Amino acid sequence: MTRPQSADGADATASAGPLQEADDLTELQAIVRRVVGARVGTHPAAEDLVQETLTRVLAAAPSVDPGLLEPYAIVTAKNLVASMWRDDARKRRNQHRAADLRVPESPEAQALLGEERSAMASALGRLDEHERALLIEHELRGTDTRTIAEEEGTTPGAVAARLSRSRARLRVEYVLGLESGDPPTDRCRPVLLALSAADRRRQRELDAATHLFSCDFCGRLSEPLLARGQRQDGVLRIPVAADPDIVKARGSARELAGRLGFSRTDLTVLATAVSELCRNIVRFAGSGELLVELLDEPRPGVRVTARDRGPGIADLEAAMRDGVSTYGGLGLGLPGVRRLMDEFAISSEQGAGTTVTITIWGKDPST
Amino acid sequence: MSILRQGSTLIASVHTALDDSELERFRTDLVAQIGEHRSRGVIIDVAALDVIDSFAALTLRTIAEMARLRGARTVIVGIQPEVAFTMVRLGMGTGSIPTALDLEEGLALLTGGVDDGRRRP
Amino acid sequence: MTQTTPGQHLLSELVAHLREHRTRLREEWAERIQQAHLLAAMTPQEMAAETTSVYDNYVEVLETGSVEALQHYARDLSERIIPRGVETHEVVGIVLLLRDVLARSLFEKYQRDFGLLNQVLDAYEPAANRIANTVAVSFVDERERVIRQQQDAIRELSTPVLPVRERLLILPIIGVLDSDRARQLTEQLLAGIRRHRARVVVIDITGAPDVDVAVANHLVQTVDASRLMGASVIITGLSPKIAQTLVTIGVDLSKMNTIGDLQGGLEEAERLLGYAVTKKEDATLS
Ligand SMILES: [Zn+2]
Repeated sequence: MTRPQSADGADATASAGPLQEADDLTELQAIVRRVVGARVGTHPAAEDLVQETLTRVLAAAPSVDPGLLEPYAIVTAKNLVASMWRDDARKRRNQHRAADLRVPESPEAQALLGEERSAMASALGRLDEHERALLIEHELRGTDTRTIAEEEGTTPGAVAARLSRSRARLRVEYVLGLESGDPPTDRCRPVLLALSAADRRRQRELDAATHLFSCDFCGRLSEPLLARGQRQDGVLRIPVAADPDIVKARGSARELAGRLGFSRTDLTVLATAVSELCRNIVRFAGSGELLVELLDEPRPGVRVTARDRGPGIADLEAAMRDGVSTYGGLGLGLPGVRRLMDEFAISSEQGAGTTVTITIWGKDPST
Repeated sequence: MSILRQGSTLIASVHTALDDSELERFRTDLVAQIGEHRSRGVIIDVAALDVIDSFAALTLRTIAEMARLRGARTVIVGIQPEVAFTMVRLGMGTGSIPTALDLEEGLALLTGGVDDGRRRP
Repeated sequence: MTQTTPGQHLLSELVAHLREHRTRLREEWAERIQQAHLLAAMTPQEMAAETTSVYDNYVEVLETGSVEALQHYARDLSERIIPRGVETHEVVGIVLLLRDVLARSLFEKYQRDFGLLNQVLDAYEPAANRIANTVAVSFVDERERVIRQQQDAIRELSTPVLPVRERLLILPIIGVLDSDRARQLTEQLLAGIRRHRARVVVIDITGAPDVDVAVANHLVQTVDASRLMGASVIITGLSPKIAQTLVTIGVDLSKMNTIGDLQGGLEEAERLLGYAVTKKEDATLS
């Protein structure tokens, strides 16, 4: 039978993220450097702190209103400096432990675990009954959104949206629970909620930028709220330069996505798309890299960015046209990759390289 | 990968993911053996592959075509459900190469001599 | 921010120390596990065997820097203990206990030389945290896998794929199909083909009022994917309207095995399977 045309392929767009302008980055970097410099001077870790801050800001960029980037960068830098001092303090405590070997058992990590558990319990307590019941049903009992929707006579989409809001609330209450004392102003909680929910419109409405500048409390809490998308071990950077890298890269992407509980089909689809993108890098650009990120809003997903500094694609439109499937011509396998993925974006500049970003969202197998 | 001979049939099994150059070597080895043994049938067992991307699919098609030119029929067996699903969405089939569920079915298909898998139970 | 890489000799010294005192340290650790009432579901013999393995794996990670073997073992261990109700905090707890038992033995050994002690701890702590993290992640992964498996088993029960006789499946499609459901049906059908070793599949769409272009694409993909698994597909109950949709998206209907109704489809299926067909010649076969 003949190959049917794609009916559901997303548009290929040359995209520019909120922070892709090199100028923005340079400006932010200068600000961050000033903030860090003012606090740690010429401490050897200063540059690490600057880079770490920028990494976190870049990761949070999709969730915050562009006007908020600068204040966010500043509070993040402050937080990181503070946590570095804390780490040093911990080392000093260890020395004490070394001197007195009969310090009682309970390892501090466990105390910390206990603290986190009680913060979680009190956060759950602060949600209204309905939100709590929903989260417990879905997150703890594992009831899927469709079943919940059926029970409540609504749609899985509506349940997912409510779950997402409840999770955002829970995160806010959780970080508040780890702090001692209530937020200093009435505005704090709504601002934190807008950050947690990655609701950029609401962030603007509340003028979250100004608030972050003036409120140390929210400054401290904004980072853990926005950092949720980038779990520490949820980002993978894979250099791609030769044939064996293709197999390695798709294996790593599959393994990382496996942590999200993706179905075998989704894992296979992802691994296959990664394979195609890596092959393009090896064949047409020689080398490049792959960035694999785990996403968790609005539902679990994986985003893969394939970047190279190769010759670029002269005719993007032709490259995206279906039906060309042999190497040598324009057959880059890109239309196939687009069909496999939920989201697809490509930008390419002749002589400068190509960047392809693909996203796949976990399918709730029962909806 | 391993290549076994059973009568006039060659059974080639892929055991782990292969990169492109390994796939090419696989193709060369297999086609050479088809000629050497004057095989009439070739079964390629891909059950262990968790990804069959455009290049792997193309390689399988090329092997089948080269086998055909040497007078042998090729059957691909063991394509996993997720892999089959992904291959068609990617737009990569195995062309007109016969396929079968597994080795046993593949052998039945070759010895049965018909290409739609019909035979008496 | 970044951890300084420790001198390799420090790590080897550390590893030698942990090997030398293996019996004592492992026993101390097991005792602390017991005191903390962790892993109460295990017998003393099991506890001894598992703690020995974990200990050896732990030291191996410190020595080689590779967590692969540990990861493997942790998954395996998780698989065995999850059905017995062991919780995540217990697993994390025992690894943290081991971390601290070992750290204390390092304090003891190096307490006279603070500078060296700090270096040893700098080498040990990141590795120890990485180990704890690895074990925890493996456990959580495994637990999620088990939960998923259970959910799959439940879904299986409601699977719409009907095995009518050996090697023959029917997939009746009833009601409105959207892309999600079409995709789900495809996945279930493909899994069903493997499970039942099906050679022929009859997809009956008599009960589907209408399909849009996206769903029609799915249908075509389902036919292709089934074929890749070695099964032939017969489509029955194709309404003129759906046939039109298929043609619109470029499907060559003459290459699809379509039969008017389910009865005819089943007869064709049996013919393909080689069963005797007692009915008169069927002229509608393609
Ligand atoms: Zn505030």
